Amino acid sequence: MSLALPLGLVWAGAAVTALLDGRRRCVAWLAVGVLGAGFVALCVLQAHVLVDGPRTIVAGDWPAGVGIALRADALGVVFAVLSMGVLLAGLAYEVVDDLESRHTPALVLFMGAGLTGVFLTADIFNFYVFFELTMVASYAASTYGGERHQIGAGFIFAIVNLLGTFLFLIGLAAIYTVTGTLDMDGVGFALAQSEPTAVALIGVSVLVAFSIKLGLFPFHFWLPPVYVGATPGVAAMLSGAVANVGSYGLLRFGGDLLPDLFAAGAGVLAVLGSASIVYGAIQAISRRSASEVLAYSAIGQVGYVLIALAVGGPVGYAAAILYAIVNALNKALLFLTARVRGWLVGACFAIGALSVAGVPPSAGFFGKVELFRAGIDARSAVLVALIFLGGALSFVYMFQIYQRDFWRDRHDTSGGRALQVPGVLLALVVLGLGLWPEPLLAVSREAAATLTGGQR
Amino acid sequence: MTLAFALAAGVLAGSGAYLALKRDLLRVVAGIVLIANAANLTLMASGGTRGESPILPVEGEISDPLVQAMTLTALVIGFAVIALLLSLVYRVYTGYDTLDLDELSKEEARHAREIDQQARDDDDVAEAEGR
Repeated sequence: MSLALPLGLVWAGAAVTALLDGRRRCVAWLAVGVLGAGFVALCVLQAHVLVDGPRTIVAGDWPAGVGIALRADALGVVFAVLSMGVLLAGLAYEVVDDLESRHTPALVLFMGAGLTGVFLTADIFNFYVFFELTMVASYAASTYGGERHQIGAGFIFAIVNLLGTFLFLIGLAAIYTVTGTLDMDGVGFALAQSEPTAVALIGVSVLVAFSIKLGLFPFHFWLPPVYVGATPGVAAMLSGAVANVGSYGLLRFGGDLLPDLFAAGAGVLAVLGSASIVYGAIQAISRRSASEVLAYSAIGQVGYVLIALAVGGPVGYAAAILYAIVNALNKALLFLTARVRGWLVGACFAIGALSVAGVPPSAGFFGKVELFRAGIDARSAVLVALIFLGGALSFVYMFQIYQRDFWRDRHDTSGGRALQVPGVLLALVVLGLGLWPEPLLAVSREAAATLTGGQR
Repeated sequence: MTLAFALAAGVLAGSGAYLALKRDLLRVVAGIVLIANAANLTLMASGGTRGESPILPVEGEISDPLVQAMTLTALVIGFAVIALLLSLVYRVYTGYDTLDLDELSKEEARHAREIDQQARDDDDVAEAEGR
């Protein structure tokens, strides 16, 4: 019951608010309340999963392998909690800032329902359905504000990401042809015994599809206009919640279903990741406005996740999961604080900037520590040097914005105390996880263990 | 049979890619529609003739019913996505008075220049105040 509860709750909330006028205060706060309830339900679920192990329910009590299953394991549930939390902060920010469009609360709730479904499904076709639900809601939400440049960017966003989605659908058809099953466990088992050429084609289509969502270097061109044009709350949701689908998809399909192929293609992943890190950092340094720097920084930061995936094994996967979590929190925090002013927000932005650069006492420090561990584990001096270089470059660009935007008080456009609350709460989370990282490290190792079959 | 499916899907995807590279937005949407249907056709073909009948046992070769259910779902999702894309095209048209993709890129470049200029102006003001 508790497994279907968060999904059903957010879904029902989305259906109801879609019929109501989201500009009215009570409707908007109802949507925030539903997201909050979903977040709490997911936290409870996470506690259960971490204590008692994975939970599965099969629709209609069909035998396993016939019915469609929902499964919560440590990997899925941690991404679900993270994404729901970021959506909650982003929507709260937009609601406090006065919503201008009647359908935004419903769109965010549909995103929440889709994301919860993506992370909690055990069926690859249902994965596609929830994935498409999330993406369609985010195409529509990205045009929030209705400016000309936003609609143009939203159109390109939709077209490019749809190409990725259809590529994923073709890969899914290929998986079904090869394995004859849709259940993730069965797929992983059958793919391990399939012909390598067929598996390689599947792997490439999956890698490209999720790289487009993540905005990795050669597939990134849709990303800057969308993140730059979007309002702060929407940009936080896109970079902190929707982009998680890309990291999770690569971990689930790469680490869980195609481990041999991703181990064989580690070189490709490392090159793509390094290119992303260097390209994102150099572009970010050359930009002057905060939103542009953050957009290019998003391209650079996902490169680290890919590098950790390339290292693989318990250490590499744990580093990838930890970095994906920390990066999502950082991006949400920075987008939510970049356009508000005041000493408190300045301090919060500085925490986010330190976290991106990987300086203690912020959660980003442990993200970088785990990456270094993965690099040393792989015995690669190049990787360690690259992670250090990337960190140094991100320190430069983050504090360039900090200096430009926060050391000058002329810019006082602060929209009241309430607008600061979501950013401050996220900053406390980032700071708290930096001071007491044990839960975060334990959760990411537990989640990595689901990919390596219990090996730690 | 597999070859026929593969050829049909290939032709659909190829024509779709050709249209998606055009500058007219409606053609781009038409290209996406064709690519979506190439994916649906591949999904149809993935069942082949290895299926079993779902409830009553039937003799002879039977297509897999599961892929038909999946394709139906994918088709419906495709319709919804195309409706969304067409409404986006309409909003582009009311905003830009044209359906040329070049205008979108120009607007993107103009917006990027505008915010860059804004940041530069702020730098200049700050420098002047500093002196």
